[in-house]
This record gives sequence, structure tokens and C-alpha cells, in this order.
Amino acid sequence: MEKTGVKVKETNGYIVFKWFNTIIMLIVCAVTLYPFLYLVAQSFSSEEAITLGKVNLLPIGFNVETYKSVLVKGEFMHAYKNTLVYSVLGTILSLVFSCCMAYPLSKKELKGYKVLTKFVIFTMYFGGGLIPNYVLMMKLHLINRIAGFIIPSLLSTYYIILMKSFFAETPHELEEAGELDGLSPIGIFIRIVLPLSMPIIATMVLFNAVGYWNNWYNAFLYLDKKEMWPVAYYLKTVISGASTSADPGEATAEKMQIAANIKSCSMVLMALPIICIYPFISKYYVEGMMLGGVKE
Amino acid sequence: MFKKKEKIAGTELSSSGGMKEFKKYMRKYWQFYLLLLIPILYYIVFRYIPMAGNIIAFRRYRAGGSLFGQQWSGFKYFKQFIGDKTFWRAFRNTLILNISYLLVRFPLTLIFALLLNEIKTLWWKKFVQTVSYLPHFISMVIVTGMIRELVSTSGPLNQLIAHFGGDKISFIAFPQYFNPIFVISGVWQALGWGTILYLAAIAGINPSLYEAAEVDGANHFQRVWHVTIPCILPTITTLLILDIGGLVGSGGAFEKVFLLYNPMTYETADIISTFVFRMGLGSGNYSYATAVGLFEALLNLTLLTIANKVSKKVSGSGLW
Amino acid sequence: MKKIATIAVAIACAAVLLTACSGKKTAKGGAASAEAVGYTFGEEKTFHSDNPVTYSISFSDASWYAMQDTWKTEGVFKDIEDVTNVHLDITSYDSGDYGQKVNLAINSGSATYIIPKIYSEDQYVAGGGVVAVSDYTQYMPNFTAFVNKYNMGPDLDTIRQSDGKFYRLPGMHQAALQDYTIMVREDIFEAAGYKIRELEKDWTWESLHDVLVGVKKYMVSQGMCKESDYIWSDLWCGESGKGQGGNLLKLMGASYNVLSGWAIEGSNGGIKYDWKKKEFYSSSISDDFKKLVTVANSFVKDGLLDPETFTQADDVAHNKFYSGKTVIMSTNRSQMANDIAGVQKILGDSAKCYVTAYPSGTNKNLAETSRLECGVMISQKALDELGQADFIKLVRFVDWMFYSKEAYSLCKWGPEGKTWEWSTAANGAKVKKLKPGFKCGGLGLPGADTDVDIRLKWGYAGGNYFYGHSTEESTDAFTPEVQDLYARYGKYKTVATVDPKAKPTEDQREQLNLWAVPLIDNINAWTLKFVTGQKDINKDWDEYISSCKNLNVDKIVALTNEIYKKQ
Repeated sequence: MEKTGVKVKETNGYIVFKWFNTIIMLIVCAVTLYPFLYLVAQSFSSEEAITLGKVNLLPIGFNVETYKSVLVKGEFMHAYKNTLVYSVLGTILSLVFSCCMAYPLSKKELKGYKVLTKFVIFTMYFGGGLIPNYVLMMKLHLINRIAGFIIPSLLSTYYIILMKSFFAETPHELEEAGELDGLSPIGIFIRIVLPLSMPIIATMVLFNAVGYWNNWYNAFLYLDKKEMWPVAYYLKTVISGASTSADPGEATAEKMQIAANIKSCSMVLMALPIICIYPFISKYYVEGMMLGGVKE
Repeated sequence: MFKKKEKIAGTELSSSGGMKEFKKYMRKYWQFYLLLLIPILYYIVFRYIPMAGNIIAFRRYRAGGSLFGQQWSGFKYFKQFIGDKTFWRAFRNTLILNISYLLVRFPLTLIFALLLNEIKTLWWKKFVQTVSYLPHFISMVIVTGMIRELVSTSGPLNQLIAHFGGDKISFIAFPQYFNPIFVISGVWQALGWGTILYLAAIAGINPSLYEAAEVDGANHFQRVWHVTIPCILPTITTLLILDIGGLVGSGGAFEKVFLLYNPMTYETADIISTFVFRMGLGSGNYSYATAVGLFEALLNLTLLTIANKVSKKVSGSGLW
Repeated sequence: MKKIATIAVAIACAAVLLTACSGKKTAKGGAASAEAVGYTFGEEKTFHSDNPVTYSISFSDASWYAMQDTWKTEGVFKDIEDVTNVHLDITSYDSGDYGQKVNLAINSGSATYIIPKIYSEDQYVAGGGVVAVSDYTQYMPNFTAFVNKYNMGPDLDTIRQSDGKFYRLPGMHQAALQDYTIMVREDIFEAAGYKIRELEKDWTWESLHDVLVGVKKYMVSQGMCKESDYIWSDLWCGESGKGQGGNLLKLMGASYNVLSGWAIEGSNGGIKYDWKKKEFYSSSISDDFKKLVTVANSFVKDGLLDPETFTQADDVAHNKFYSGKTVIMSTNRSQMANDIAGVQKILGDSAKCYVTAYPSGTNKNLAETSRLECGVMISQKALDELGQADFIKLVRFVDWMFYSKEAYSLCKWGPEGKTWEWSTAANGAKVKKLKPGFKCGGLGLPGADTDVDIRLKWGYAGGNYFYGHSTEESTDAFTPEVQDLYARYGKYKTVATVDPKAKPTEDQREQLNLWAVPLIDNINAWTLKFVTGQKDINKDWDEYISSCKNLNVDKIVALTNEIYKKQ
């Protein structure tokens, strides 16, 4: 933020504030990191340690049985592959079509703008319900197809409204400049508005990717075939299986170990990849993205 | 109220030179409508067509029978829940829980985003951000499990209380504690993730505005108050309006409440969606559930419209 | 305005969306004129179709023994096809979501012909999506034979609907199986001076209370726990009991003639039948109920039972028992072996657990009274698509598969000679024994790591297709410990007669449900408050009763009696 050579002397108030801020951030980190580390530790701990409540921040009785039992199965890797495909495909398509809707809607001078906005917002409140949606997908032969997983979550009105609000913030002078240069509306969008909207686009990529990544509901409804399951749903079945196994005498040590920490292992397997994405996206949150577009 | 099918208006032109103006308008704007084509189609097929299913709120629906129910039942299902005082208790709880949550989370998220923005050391900023997102990725089942452990009589909270000489309380068994437990844990889970949008908005602020403010002699806090906040005001109002439009909704909180409540806390914990769930357990009564859903939706839409109008008057910006 | 718009949209959609089939009444099961052409069937005769035929079937796929291709190529499904010439077209759903997916399938008109593992079929009755199978039991020789031999008539009556028919072919047991009971740390009880095996012969919940007081005193004196600790923390009462007091109150309640805990669900407010007065009443506002909560509360009041039992996750109780903090906990037939082994693993071999025939109250009844369990529905689609004659053929196949001894043995153990053989037990009885090289987790028959698990590899002993049967068959895989437990049940406990059921029409059921849900909420809230001591049983009793009356308990009782009298 302090870009020019002029150095403003920091007031005492500001220095105190900076220390205060650091303390708050430390508290936040402690409160959010601790439970997460506890769960990670649990996922690597032995069943006895968990039962006896010994696990804290570090794994006790280091044990990767549960991870092994999940990772070794071909189904898990297959499900991971599915999730990658669905997430990437879904995010790209969502972004493209959300922009297609959000950009025109950000133009207040567009005729029908109000009606269209209401048209879209209405769907946030009134839906068909489980069965009509299912029947529709059935009639369109989308059950057990990739499209069946992606389409229900393709456009989110909430995100479109947010994007529209961001697009509307783009300064008109820049768009007019593009018009003068002979660009078509789509051209203006791609060459002028989009680059300046990187923060919101990055956000939408993140939201959509995380949404598809964690989605098990669409799979539960529309994907009956196990080969098509994403990791989120697959792990959910493993968890429910581990805790409801109702078989007499299946007292294998392995089974008990899995039951003890399958939930935390699942969480680690699901959350880690996505959390790793964030650093790559965070560069779009650097301020001053507008700098390049301002005409001197 | 809403004209769902009207896509392209183009008919409200001035009477003079109507056709020519229309052509001129379309030459300029046709590409926008082209962009809109596929999304609108999507909405019609995948959002509006299934809405026909809502008709079963007015008809008797039977599992395995016709999708649209088998005979008209008028407002019977509406009367069923409107006359039920247990329903209204659930309604009241839904409102109270949602409003409490909104009142606490909304300002805190904004403040936290602003505080995050003040961190100058890049690695520390990224670290805090990433760590603050972690709770968002922990599944609700695990979160509620942790909550129970935390507030149990043998858990850390009670141990702290005992340390200071107080009596141990089984928090999860008393209705008066449900609200704070719900709100605080909700804030914990959503705080970090909720700042992303604000940070995106802040990233879009023109730095020359800050420079101008500096030149005008504004100190740090004044720069935030006079530049940052006004610039992200559209984002703030959009989010606030959307949140207000969700106050009567209880679908999102269903899993959390379901995993945390028990009959001893129904008084404050039972929300509309959990109530409807128990109602339908034995009978698969979709008509009843749909009727309640329509009721919720209507109220939320009204709230949204009001919030939007108020916002436009006060801050000049709204959803439409 | 909205309504008109919705209708308009609905009409517009009619062209796009074909409506699912509207509810059709099933064809009346008249005299079967069709002879069994093209297939063989009969009581204890193998079903065999001359021509290959395919039937669609739903399958509840448990993730801990997920279906493999080998099941179809060399396992249970191939065996069925070899024997009967019936190919099963399987639609499998994960077991955790099975009920919902079946619901979805029936609601959307895409259900399979045969739908096994159904626990509650009430919601499907009125819609016409499933066949009133009672109309076709006349074509089912194995089913009928079992019903006659073990007098299942009154039990079947409990699942008849208001039209007198039943819509699910239930699994049937010769005798009700009590799965859940109480387990104690025998070694600690013994050290404290209590011989549990003697006590168990005629103990009551009240005598258990006194025993536990003694045990706790002993434990405190030995430094094993503090005075402020609880020695009983139970599971299946909080999270998984969904706060109804779950398993423990169900067990206790039954001994006092009260429907409580899990048993109150679907009871419309604890409705039971008074055989003397010949009318229905609500056990939840009776004096029996007062006795129940007083006894349950005595455990909490005297520092024995942790009140958090009723709100905590199952894991907590489980961990406390395994780590030795508590000495008594509920268990069931599936968990028993786990619990016994688990405790020994953590606490050493001296930590012995004993599974008891749990205490009695004013009666010695076991909580389970029903001899029926989950069963099979047949979708209306099957009747529509097959036509009467072929539908009867399907019904006879179902009869063979789910009710014949041959199919039972085939599905549970596999073909004789392939996986098992006859052998003689210690007492001279002929028993089935797995051949060397095989084991089966599903039957509780462990083996070496190199052994082939007949369930994992070939799908035998799965939960989808063998339920209920004669006691001899049901228990043929029980371990000696489990058999001993059931023998003790037989000696020390009794089985109550199953209550008759009032059969409401659709509208009546809706009305009862509307009243019952808030009432049951209230009963549960008060039950837990009484038991945990939040409310005083004597002082607040009247408030409790009037709160139930305000929630229509009398109306429910009156309506139930009215319905039953007219039946």
C-alpha cells in the first residue's frame, strides 16, 4: 500500500494496533489450528490411545492402518480420479456460464435487467424438491452420467449475484475506452473486465472447486454406480460402514482400528488437497490489480 | 409479483420511432442476450420445471403414486402446521437462532477481514488466512462431535469452571445454552472462510484512492473508514441482503441442529426443518413438507424484497 | 397469483415431463387358474424356471463387505442362477442410504421388482407403488408352511393395514431374538463381593442399583475411581438414540410395561394394550411410567449412572468402558465379541466381561416381542409388466429365495461341499462347519489371514437375503457364548405377547401422526428430565400429566380405541 517514496510516520496508535492485531491473529490461529491438528494426530494414532483419550497434538501409538486400508483399495484412487475430473470440469463450466449470466446482469441499462435478476433470485427460494428433481434427471437420462453430477450444481444464484455485483464495480471509463477501440461487448468483457476482476474470479474458482470437491449429495442422488463415485461420497460410505457394522464376532483388530479414526482420516484425505490450492490462488488477492488499467 | 417467463422485454420503448430504436438497441446489446441464452435455458429446465412439483402442497401426494399427487386437498396441509403450536415454536426458534447468528457473525467477519488486511508481512498473512479456513473443511459430524466433547461434564469447559470453583453443568442438556453453543461454534466454523469475499473486494480497490487520502493527511484508521469501507460497501450490502433473505430458512442448519439437539432442548433448539423431519418420519408426508417449504420461501422472499428496498434507500445499492 | 403461475408451469411441463404411473389398485388375487407352466416350485422343492428369466432386485450394499464381481461370476448370485435359472439384475445402493434410495426409486416410478431389506412400508401403502403381497401368499408354499407351523398369524396381523392386507413379506423368526442387553465387568463385581452369575437369575433393576452401590464403594476404596465419578456410562442413548433415551430406557421400560426409549417411536405416545380391560391406553402417563422414571433416576441420583448418557455420542461410553472407567455398559449380539476382546486388549486378560440376561422389573419380559423383522416388498411395476401369470411365477421365486430352507442355507453358507460340510458337535448334534481354508466374518467364524472369507469373496451370509427362520437355522452359526446367553434368556426371562394393532386409514394415520409427534417430543423431554433429575418426579408429576393432556394424549387413545373396535 505504501507505494511512493513518501513515508508516512506511523502514529503510536497504529503501532499499538499492530501489536493488538497480531495477538488477535495468534488467538485465531490457535483456536482454528488446534482442533485441526488434533484431528490429524488422531488419524495417525492407534485405537488404544484414542480410546484412552491420550491423543492431543501429536499422534500416540503411530499407526497408519486406517490410511492403508483406505488407500490400498483401488476404489479409493479411482474415486479420487473421479473427483478430480468432476471438480475441474465442473469448475470450468460453472465459471464460464456464471460469467455469461453475471456480466449482462451487471449492466443496469440492459432491458429486462430487473426481470431477469428476479427470475434468477426466485430460484433461490423456490425449488422443486427432491423427487421432481430426481425424476427430471431420470427423464433426461442423466442418471449415472458425469453430467448428472455436475449439472445440478452448475449455476449458483448466490455466486452469480456476487459476481454481478463485482462486475458492476468496474469503472465505466474503461469499458467505454474499449468500446471506442472497437471491441464488441464480449471482447470488452474478456479483455477489460475479466482481467480487472481477477479477485472475484479467483474467489469463484475457489468456491466452485471446493464445492464440487466436497459434494457427496449429487453422487448420492444421481450416481448409483460405484465406479462413478467421487471421493466425498465414497468416504462417507466407508464411515457409515465402519460405525454400523452389525456382524457378530467380527472382532478383528483392524476393524476396531478403522472404526476409531476413520472420520479424522477421511477429513485429512479430503481437506489436504484443497487447502493446498489456496496458496496458488492467493496471489490474486494482492491489491492494486486495477493499477494496470488506470489511464494516466 | 414476478414474471418468470418474460425474458427479453424490449417492448417498453418510447412510441416514437419504436422499431428503429429497437434495432439500434439490439445492434448494440445483442451479444449480451446471446450470453444469457444458455444460463437462462439452464434455469428453466433445471430450476423452474421441477418447481411444478410444489403443486403437491395443495394436493395429497402418495409415495409411488402420481408425481403431482392424486387429489386436491386445498390448504389442508397449510392448516395442519399453521394450527400447530409446536410448529410455531420451531418457527420462533429458527428466527432467533438465525438472527443471533447473523448479528454476531456478520460484523465479526467484516472486522476480521479488515484486520487481516492490515497484516503487512506476506507469509504471516497467508498463514493466518489458510489456518482460519481450516474449520470450514471439517465435516459437520466431526464438528458437532467436538462440540459435545467440549461442553460435556468431563470436558475442558467444565474443568475450567470447576477450577474456578463453579458447579459443572451439562450444557448440552439445557435449552438456554443451545443458542450460544450454536452461534459460537458457527462463528468459529465460518469466520475465516467468510472473509474471502471481503478480501476479494478489498483487492479491487484502486490504490490511488489510498494515496489521495494519505496526501489529505488521513491516518491509518481514517483511511480504512473513508476509503476501504465505502469501496466495499456494495459487497457488504449484497451479502447482508442475501443473509436477511435467509432468516426463515432452516435447511442449511438442519444437519447441525439435528446432531446437537435432544428432546430436553427442543424448546430452543428445534427448528422448522428438524420439526418437519420428525413429522414426516413415519409417514413420508411430502405434501406437508412441501407446504412448509413454500411457507418458508414466501417469507424469505418477502424479507429479501424489504431488505433490498431499504438498502437502496439507505446506501443506494441493492440487488436489483 | 403464485398458484396460477404454478399451475401454468405445471401444464407447460406436462409436455416435457411424463407423469409417473398413477396409483393403480392391484389386481384382486382371485383363484389362481394358471397352472405352474414353465417352472417347478413347491414347499421345500427347488424353484426352477425352464426358460432363463431375469428379475430386477435392489441390494443394500454394505461397504465393509462390498459387492464384488466374483459374487456374480462364482458366488452367491451365480449359485442362485445355476439352481433356479433366474438371473438377478441387481441395482445396489450403499447400505447407509438404502432406505432413502429405495424411497426415491419408488417415488419416481423406477423401483426394481424385488425390494428386500425393508423395515417400514407404511408410507408406500396408499400410493400404489407396491403390491399388497398378502393377496399372493396363497401362491407361496414355503411362506405358508412356516406361518402354519409356527403360528405366525397374530404376528402377521400386526403389519396388516386398514384394508386388511399387508404389503411386506416379513422375515419371520420362530422365536423373538433379543439382541440388546447389559454387560458387566465380572472381575470387578466379583472382587466387590458380588457373584453376577447367581444374581442374574432373579435380579431386578432395583437390586442392580444396590449391587452397583456396593461395587462403587469398593472401587472408591480401592482408588479405582473417585466418589464424584460415575461407574455406568451408556451408549445408544444419546446421539444414536436421537435423544429418546434410546436403548437403556427401552430395556428398562419393557420391564415395567412402558414403551420408552427406542420403543416409543411409532407408538403414537406409548400406546399399549391393556389385556384385562381390553382397551388401549398410554403407558407414558401411567403409574408404571412413574415407577420407571423413579427407578432410572435412582441410578443417576446415587452417583451410579452418568446423566450424560442420554446426550453423549456412543464413542464416549465405549471408550470409558474399554479404558476401565466404567464397569457396566449395554451391548448387543454384534458388538459382544468386540467388547469382550477390546477390553482385554487394553486392560489385560484379567479384565473379564460377562454378558448378562438383563434385570427385570414388575415383569420379566424381554423388550423384543416381535417375531418379524425386515422383509421384502414387490413393486407394482412387477405386476404391471409381467402380467398375472408371470407375476405369480415371480412370487414363487421370492417364496423360494426368502422362505425355503434350501435357499436359506445356500445364501447363508454357500453350497454344501464348496464352503461347508456336516460335522458332529461335542454334544453329538449334527452341525454345519466351514471347510478348512474358509472363514466368515458375517457369521462370526474367524479364521487365519490366509483363509478365504466366504462373504467377502462370494457374498454368502450377507444381510440381504436370509432373515428369520426356525430357531435351529437362525442360530446355527452362533458361538457357544451367544448360545449360552440365549439359553439364559430362556431360563430367566419371559416373552410378552405382542400387542394387537389398531389399523388406521390414511386420514386417521395422518391425524394420529399430527398429534403424536409433539406429544412424543414432550414425553421424551420429560422422561429425560425426570431421569436426569432436572425435574422432580413427585413435585412435577401433575405438570407432566397436564402437559400431555394438552397435547392430545386422550384424543389419541380415544381414536385408537375407536379404530380398533371397528376393525
